[in-house]
Amino acid sequence: MRKDIILNTGNTQIYSKLLLAAILILATAGMWGATARVDYTWRWERVPQYFLYKGEEAHKAAQDAKVARIQPQGKSTAVTLDYDDGTQEQFVVDTDALKVTQGETLFGGDTVGFTSSWHVGPLIKGLWVTFWLSGLSGILGLALGLVTGLCRISKNYTLRGLASLYVELIRGTPLLVQIFIFYFFIGTVLNLDRMVAGVGALGIFAGAYIAEIIRAGIQSIPRGQMEAARSLGMTVPQAMRHIILPQAFKRTLPPLAGQFISLIKDSSLVSVIAITDLTKSGREVITSSFATFEVWFTVAALYLIVTSLLSQVVFWMERRLSVSD
Amino acid sequence: MIDARNVVKTFHGRGQVVRAVDDVTTAVTKGEVVVIIGPSGSGKSTFLRCLNGLETFDSGHIVIDGMDLAAKKTDINLVRREVGMVFQQFNLFPHKTVLENITLAQQVVRGRKPAEAEETARKLLKKVGIAEKEAEYPARLSGGQQQRVAIARALAMNPKVMLFDEPTSALDPEMVGEVLDVMKQLAREGMTMVVVTHEMGFAREVADRVLFMDAGKLVEEGIPSEIFSNPKEERTKIFLNQVL
Ligand SMILES: Nc1ncnc2c1ncn2[C@@H]1O[C@H](COP(=O)(O)OP(=O)(O)OP(=O)(O)O)[C@@H](O)[C@H]1O
Ligand SMILES: [Mg+2]
Repeated sequence: MRKDIILNTGNTQIYSKLLLAAILILATAGMWGATARVDYTWRWERVPQYFLYKGEEAHKAAQDAKVARIQPQGKSTAVTLDYDDGTQEQFVVDTDALKVTQGETLFGGDTVGFTSSWHVGPLIKGLWVTFWLSGLSGILGLALGLVTGLCRISKNYTLRGLASLYVELIRGTPLLVQIFIFYFFIGTVLNLDRMVAGVGALGIFAGAYIAEIIRAGIQSIPRGQMEAARSLGMTVPQAMRHIILPQAFKRTLPPLAGQFISLIKDSSLVSVIAITDLTKSGREVITSSFATFEVWFTVAALYLIVTSLLSQVVFWMERRLSVSD
Repeated sequence: MIDARNVVKTFHGRGQVVRAVDDVTTAVTKGEVVVIIGPSGSGKSTFLRCLNGLETFDSGHIVIDGMDLAAKKTDINLVRREVGMVFQQFNLFPHKTVLENITLAQQVVRGRKPAEAEETARKLLKKVGIAEKEAEYPARLSGGQQQRVAIARALAMNPKVMLFDEPTSALDPEMVGEVLDVMKQLAREGMTMVVVTHEMGFAREVADRVLFMDAGKLVEEGIPSEIFSNPKEERTKIFLNQVL
């Protein structure tokens, strides 16, 4: 069936591609026209400095001193100061930013010179925070989800009840509200750092969804697998670990990947408890750059890069796991 | 080796109670090959599954190699190590290669070293005639080959008894022979076997004793020639007339 469809598309494929191109061109033109109407001046050149910028650092004399030696070493210059109390200090500054001369008398706080170096800007810092925030909460969510998923199918009524309660509570309330409760209530009671609160709220949120994915995955494995493992003398935990979970993992990889991608995006909500993640960095950058459109597009692109990297990793894992098909 | 006394197993479903195994008493001695026959739904599989604790039974006793399955303190996992089981649907582990299918339980359950487990596995694969497939995944094997791997997997645990639940029913006709040949060889080597099958030829040729079950009850048992040529019970006659 599917083979036929693919074979018959020789001609229509060209038209489809043309149509796709036309739609994309129209969409771009529409956006361009729209921004032209609101009279917006694009200033993309303002964006890169929020990724990386060259910062100058001033080196200052600690107290009154005399410049004892100046030794140029190419691009940088070593300056030795004799302090009035008899001690010495050496500075290395950029040659073209040297502010003192041999034998000059300095007061405490006078600038000897500058060095410049590259610094990561707020967007990269925010991206990094988003990255490990979602990474940590993903790990937490996976652990919680695995335990809860196993509890959901356990024979023990109490465990089953607790697990369902957790899943229902989390899935039935908005993440934003959960973050507030976690930060303002639990965070205050237990005196949690805002980062801990953020990771906790996100991890617990993801855990509820992952639990359902894992439960469905385990239940999709034919009963005969457990019976075969048990008939060989394996205990239930051994059978789970060696037989059921590896197969369930393979089947749940696509929905799990979707959940992790959601998690990366949902992590933007923690900016409401003043965690400077990518979204919050974006807002801060806008207040100084006034390049609203550009910054939001950039932030979106950064999220897209992280999520598509994750998709690639998952795709690669799926391919590796499919050798046994 | 196996001693089953007054075993009763009921299923409760949709308001009705099914007596899947109804007061079955029988014994299997060491080295004996017992074949269980009977119509569909007569409780053959359920009885077999009771023998290795895959089903719990309501009353009666099953004693395997001195271990009483009904006793609370019996560790069912210890019993299962000694009882190999081969299923109709093979139930190989699809994410493991043929070799890994056979070595896994040896390592996990018996605590054997990888080299030792692999040696056992290779020996058994040779015995069931598919030594060249050790690196394949089960999905790439034919049904007959899969079932032979499943037999090797069970044998690798050095069981004292082997249970077979319709091992050839899911196979294409041309593959039935290769699996039966392996089972016949096992029987010749003196393995204690309980086999549920519809292969009457196999029963006639290999069985020391044939049990006929109907509606959960053990209706008749005896040596194959007697059961097949001269059944005493009316129900056995009707069943044999249908299948022979
Ligand atoms: N898990 C179960 N829940 C409820 N009823 C069951 C279950 N397993 C088996 N039964 C019932 O128990 C009876 C015996 O089933 P069993 O599978 O042992 O028969 P069988 O002799 O193996 O039949 P077949 O030749 O078709 O495999 C049947 O009436 C069946 O419907
Ligand atoms: Mg059956």
